Amino acid sequence: MNTASKPLSIRGIAKTYASRTGEPVEALKSIDLEIAAGEFVVIVGPSGCGKSTLLNMLAGFGEPSAGEALVAGVTIRGPDIDRGMVFQSYALFPWLTVAGNVEFGLERKGVPRRQRREIALECLGMVGLRDFADRGINELSGGMKQRAAIARAFATEPSIIFMDEPFGALDALTRRFLQKQLLQIWRDHRKTVVFITHSVPEAITLADRIAVMTARPGRIKAIISVDLAHPRDSTSDRFRDYERALYAELDEELVKTLAAEGRHTAPAAVPG
Amino acid sequence: MSNTGKALGQLLPLVWAVVAILIVWQLVIAVFRPHVSLLPPPELAARELWTLFASGDLFVHSGTSLARVLSAWCITGAIAIPLGLAMGWSRRMEKIIDPFVELFRPISPLAWIPLAILWFGIGEAGKVFVVCVATFFPTLLSTIAGVKRIDPVLIHAGQVLGCTDQVSLFRKVILPAALPSIVVGMRISFGTGWAAIIAAELVAARSGLGYLIANGMEILRADKVLVGMVMIGVLGVCFDAFFRYLNRRYSWGES
Repeated sequence: MNTASKPLSIRGIAKTYASRTGEPVEALKSIDLEIAAGEFVVIVGPSGCGKSTLLNMLAGFGEPSAGEALVAGVTIRGPDIDRGMVFQSYALFPWLTVAGNVEFGLERKGVPRRQRREIALECLGMVGLRDFADRGINELSGGMKQRAAIARAFATEPSIIFMDEPFGALDALTRRFLQKQLLQIWRDHRKTVVFITHSVPEAITLADRIAVMTARPGRIKAIISVDLAHPRDSTSDRFRDYERALYAELDEELVKTLAAEGRHTAPAAVPG
Repeated sequence: MSNTGKALGQLLPLVWAVVAILIVWQLVIAVFRPHVSLLPPPELAARELWTLFASGDLFVHSGTSLARVLSAWCITGAIAIPLGLAMGWSRRMEKIIDPFVELFRPISPLAWIPLAILWFGIGEAGKVFVVCVATFFPTLLSTIAGVKRIDPVLIHAGQVLGCTDQVSLFRKVILPAALPSIVVGMRISFGTGWAAIIAAELVAARSGLGYLIANGMEILRADKVLVGMVMIGVLGVCFDAFFRYLNRRYSWGES
């Protein structure tokens, strides 16, 4: 199961949309980011900074107002099965079984039935859900749903996978477990991953590089390379150093966000 | 075993209601002593039920009414479901068609009976037409709501999994996602259709449960009227239960 992953270049992407009152709202302001093939990039930023807007455009839902994004030199225009996505709300199809969900994209790719089943079971095995292949979606817990969604995203062998706060709705323990599982899968498959989160420890645990976004209108504020070997120990001094640096960047933006929202009290930095 | 227990548990309240009605009925007879042509005692009605049952008339009338409702209901489904899917999916379609829906919806299907008689006479076509009107809007509106309520993230998921054209997206995502709501609409519309056919048959028919009731009234046979009413109720409850079952089957364990 090894198809080449591809590089992604984001060149000057901006997004301005009209608010309900008709005034233009600048959500993103000229984003530039080069992501290598097989790289795991995490984007962090204060809520409302436009990171989900950015990811949606990369997935092909909506056009940027300016700039473009290219996958291996080809401009992104609309969604494509070669770019997978994992959603925060899982987005599993409740009318299909767990395996049916994983097979969905394979069927669209024209994979024959028997082979679909085989691949689906293999991918479900990878996230520890093989025994749940024939269950209904609503029989699964939140963590299991997201594992099924991850299996579904990897099954079609996309060259890039976008993850929009995939573990945001899960409890801390499940989250840690899924982070480990995802890293294992990523190291086996070496897909290019663009992952959004607002959890600083999550970013440091997963990323090759972390892109910090500013408050709205979102720009890339800093890019931090995480030079720690996997598995990363979140209690180590170096992990803590990265945390401190990342919180410092983010707190600055949080102050701006809160000010923009008209609140006058900004909390002090809260180190993890 | 537990399933039969559950079914019994659901039936029990119905049995109680029937017993209570019979008791009140008997009390009314004992206290007011109405003429038998106005309100016969339960046993007389039961005897008439048996007579109509044994002669097969009851099946003929019930079957006739059901056939009218079912055929109209199928015609409606074939029109209202595709239309509802289109209106739920395309803002433009909805804008064009919605005003017509708004204008026609408040008109009771029963108000169409005179026109139906004028246009189609008192044959089958007129009655089927009235039931079509009665079943159309519940089916249409549920279908529209079913499409509109689809979580947009499911559509995005379908797109990144290879449904990049409208046709495949519709077939693989929109239709299955809207199905539970469509089944609800079919259930509700069967109920409204069942009510409408009785009314249409009261006015102009030579068969059907509505006719049975109207005829009973004309020949001063309240027992026949009551038997007809009981049959309408029983069949209505049975079909509703059947559609509820379908509903549960196609709602993927969600409430």
